[in-house]
Amino acid sequence: MTDARTLTRWDHAIGAALCLGYVAVLLYTAPDLAMSRDESFYAHAAKNIAGWLQEALTDPALALRQDHVDQAWRYNWEHPALMKLTFAWSWLAQERFGLFPIDSLAFRLPGMLSAGLLLWLIYGWGASVMARSGAMFSALAFATMPRVFYHSHLDCFDVPIAFFSTLTAYAYWRALRDRRWVLVLGLVFGLALSTKHNSWMLPGIFLIHFAWLRVDEARAGVDRRTPMTWLASMLVIGPLVFIGTWPWLWRDTWNRIAAYVSFHLRHVHYTYEFLGVSYFEPPLPMSVPFVMTLFTVSLVVLGLALAGVLSCRAELRVPWRVRPGDSTTRRTDVLWLGCLVAPLLAIALPSSPIFGGTKHWITAYPFLALFAGRGLLAVTERAELGPWMGRRAAAPAFAAFCLLPGLVQTAHSHPFALSHYMPIAGGVPGAADLGMNRQFWGFTTGSLTDWLVEQLPNGGSVWLCDTTAGAWAMLQADDAVPRNIRAARSMSEADFALVHHEQHFAEVDYQAWVAYGTTQPVHVLLYDGVPIISVYENPNRYERGSPD
Amino acid sequence: MADAGRKLSLAAWAWVLFAGLATFELVAHPVILEAIPDDASWEEASAFVRAQFEPGDRIVAAPPWIDPIVRKELGDLTPLRIAALADGAGVGRVWELGIRGATTRADIPAQERDFDGIRVRIWPVESPLLVYDFVANIEDARVELETEEGPRTCPWTRGRPAPGGLERGPMRPEERFVCDAKRPWLWVGPTVLADLELQPRRCIWQHPAGPTAVRTIFSDVPLGTRLIVRGGVDYQVARQRAHAPVTLRVWIDDAIAAEWDHHDGDGWSGFEIDTSARDGSLATVRFETTAPDPFARLFCFAASSQRELRGD
Repeated sequence: MTDARTLTRWDHAIGAALCLGYVAVLLYTAPDLAMSRDESFYAHAAKNIAGWLQEALTDPALALRQDHVDQAWRYNWEHPALMKLTFAWSWLAQERFGLFPIDSLAFRLPGMLSAGLLLWLIYGWGASVMARSGAMFSALAFATMPRVFYHSHLDCFDVPIAFFSTLTAYAYWRALRDRRWVLVLGLVFGLALSTKHNSWMLPGIFLIHFAWLRVDEARAGVDRRTPMTWLASMLVIGPLVFIGTWPWLWRDTWNRIAAYVSFHLRHVHYTYEFLGVSYFEPPLPMSVPFVMTLFTVSLVVLGLALAGVLSCRAELRVPWRVRPGDSTTRRTDVLWLGCLVAPLLAIALPSSPIFGGTKHWITAYPFLALFAGRGLLAVTERAELGPWMGRRAAAPAFAAFCLLPGLVQTAHSHPFALSHYMPIAGGVPGAADLGMNRQFWGFTTGSLTDWLVEQLPNGGSVWLCDTTAGAWAMLQADDAVPRNIRAARSMSEADFALVHHEQHFAEVDYQAWVAYGTTQPVHVLLYDGVPIISVYENPNRYERGSPD
Repeated sequence: MADAGRKLSLAAWAWVLFAGLATFELVAHPVILEAIPDDASWEEASAFVRAQFEPGDRIVAAPPWIDPIVRKELGDLTPLRIAALADGAGVGRVWELGIRGATTRADIPAQERDFDGIRVRIWPVESPLLVYDFVANIEDARVELETEEGPRTCPWTRGRPAPGGLERGPMRPEERFVCDAKRPWLWVGPTVLADLELQPRRCIWQHPAGPTAVRTIFSDVPLGTRLIVRGGVDYQVARQRAHAPVTLRVWIDDAIAAEWDHHDGDGWSGFEIDTSARDGSLATVRFETTAPDPFARLFCFAASSQRELRGD
């Protein structure tokens, strides 16, 4: 691996094209996705913050009063400010200029931009240390992971933290050789802290990597060793940015930071089905993040990533297994491997709260993709495909062929990505056989709207199960459902009741049976033949004088 | 092309391996999709079942995750009693609609047909005759709450049903016996419990009030050779295994016939009472629930009088 190659304008043009192209695809496909539970909470928080920002622009003194800050920032206090601020600014732009055809896009654009920028970053970092074709493959391999594609649409923090974590790792890597990046590192680490708590593990990863470097240097007898200023920058500037961007912390700072930390260390457990068992309490099996990665990422990309790791095994050797002076690089592969493995291990720990969704370790996937790019180069360069195939385009064709499964599956996964599983799991029905989590967040209601509108031409009401009232209101604001189809508070008041199929939602199915006196749904939303939502019709809806 | 016959290096074999993985994923995808039964197949399979369906038949799905599809097609033939079976009494035949080679039974079926990926099979089953289903007759019962002043009748009332939702427990139906409006959980009525295995169980909700009894009394119950009682606690609290046991006492004509303690973690379980000596007679049957501490005792039971079918 090259220690570092200077990127050219051409490289940045490629990165920018990847970024803009991906954002364009995300914008085009986003209307197919109803808001998820968490998105609806963040959209609500963003509206509160947008009001506060407007006040700050017109009357800063008033906005800075404790009661005004608390009123705007109390809701969803358990998540830091950065992305919610970007959602709020984007929403203000929508209100002022009407930039987006539908309101949900205003909230989602910042997340999409972070996904696009992440592709640029993956390409850029990859192209700094390996051939451009490998870097390009890495970026596209990441873009065509079905669950990454889904999460890239959302006004959530998962893809943004994947971007800021990767950017922080990149800044750290640059700061090891270039002092100008030391301050940048502190700043971007602060932005990562201000995005999501996944960032807490970054200093630990860097310290292990740095220790590796230092031992290399000590064994080589290097006089001028790599300075540790990067850590000071992270520990000083990072928290300042974190607190500075989050007005909620401007008063009662320590108590509120302690509450924030405590919230995530003692997080509620999300019930999660894995291999036929619904886990209500930890420990989840340690295999969860690894099996879920196997089942949701293209097998060929995983294989290439493994080949990538194997191809740089010499660079990954522990310092005392390397002849003194042999290793003169920044040990980029060690850093990448740390960034790949740490998020997976954090979730695998028996003491971790139950987090089953791939989004919780999505920060690992940029590095998985980078290793896949390395693996592709290792295979194509060493195999000397050209002479054997008799074609000069053999390597690019091979790369494209390796990307094709991810691309096909990503296209097929939309708009059901959290229900999607790769062929190694037997696809969606195979995963159902295995007892894998079917879905979460209730966003699949978006795939039912046409049916509901057809059934309720004159309006009515729907009991929404796992879909939040906020998500439904956003569907109405986006004109996906008319406002006269309202969210019902109870099954008995509703014309239709939805049941989102997850194993532990069985009780809701049974509630509908009792409420409506039937076990027969009038409609079942299927994805690849697997039930996603059952819809029950209230037998009393005509007696109650439903407008329909 | 002279190089075409060159011996492949290890890396070239790796290339072949990765090309093979990509090919597998690309080929497996349409194969998986092709195996999914379409709407027409479901309709044909359902029509086949419907044409031969008889009262007492039970329809099951294999694998279980296709159950919503099967109920959409044939749910009108699957009443609550059958869908949320408390025990197997009264079931004469089992229909199974299966896909992907899944099955619920190992024995050879009496009949089998395939409808483009949907396998319909039927088995005759031997089960006791259902003489009297207490859950089905709950509306005719009398419910009392024991108080310091003596037993207080709980009236059959039409009230607000539960809204429904995750972790809300069994649905409180619109019509039920209400024992204490200040304690909204203190009602008696028919519902469906999600047991410890998340299986549906049609049952009578009878949350204990504490050490004093909640009592449901059925008059003129036709007895068979045995009385089967099953009960359980809602899965959300049962899995915590943290709360007091529930005691269920069964009285037949003022004589105690059984006393049973249900502990969290027992799951859907129960006991039977031999009534063969009184087979064919009528009796008053009383079910009493108590618990040392009524907190989170989301208890529900089902009972039936049954008669064993004897072969000649």
